[in-house]
Amino acid sequence: MVKARARQAPLWALMLASVWLDVVFVPLYLTGIETIARAPGTHGIYAAAIIHANYTHSLAGAALLAAIFGWVGAVAWGRRTGVVLGLVVLSHWVLDVVVHRADLPLLAGNGHLALLGFGLWRWPLASAMVELALVVAGGWLYWRAARAVSLAAQRSERFATLTGALVLIGGVAVLALDVSGVLG
Amino acid sequence: MAFIVGTLFFVVVVGVIDARLPWPRPRQPGQRS
Repeated sequence: MVKARARQAPLWALMLASVWLDVVFVPLYLTGIETIARAPGTHGIYAAAIIHANYTHSLAGAALLAAIFGWVGAVAWGRRTGVVLGLVVLSHWVLDVVVHRADLPLLAGNGHLALLGFGLWRWPLASAMVELALVVAGGWLYWRAARAVSLAAQRSERFATLTGALVLIGGVAVLALDVSGVLG
Repeated sequence: MAFIVGTLFFVVVVGVIDARLPWPRPRQPGQRS
């Protein structure tokens, strides 16, 4: 969706920004610094997690990781692209607040402050439908923007359509893998 | 696992293909507008 508005930002950097908090989470998880627990009464993989990730998934930690990613992006591609990339990193935390059960802290040392999370994951089907709607809308907006720049450059729109289809099919396939838990 | 597959697919595969489209180039730091 962001690529359709911030067309100068490389798609790979936008995609990496959208999962940056989880990418940083992986080594902390593997070293036991941050952990995942199963939510009581859940089955399967999808929407069943409660995370204990005070560094990568606290608001302060997410803001710091967003600032670092945005700074690197600004150095590489200019200030505007850096700001966009930083905001995309932070959007991960905002969307996590919507779906997570209350496990997201404000600070790394959260103390007695409340943990946040509206818990859409308690209704996995509704959560998956929302994700599917975002994937379809994102694929359509991407295709529309890719087609527009291709036509403006007097190039065939066929390659843009193929790339848009790849984005849409890939997004739906990855969501299906996630929801079904086929890959574990 | 789906997270790793999805990240690699979109960052590497789609990223490389997308770069062949005629998107406007990001302005380099220090470049005059």
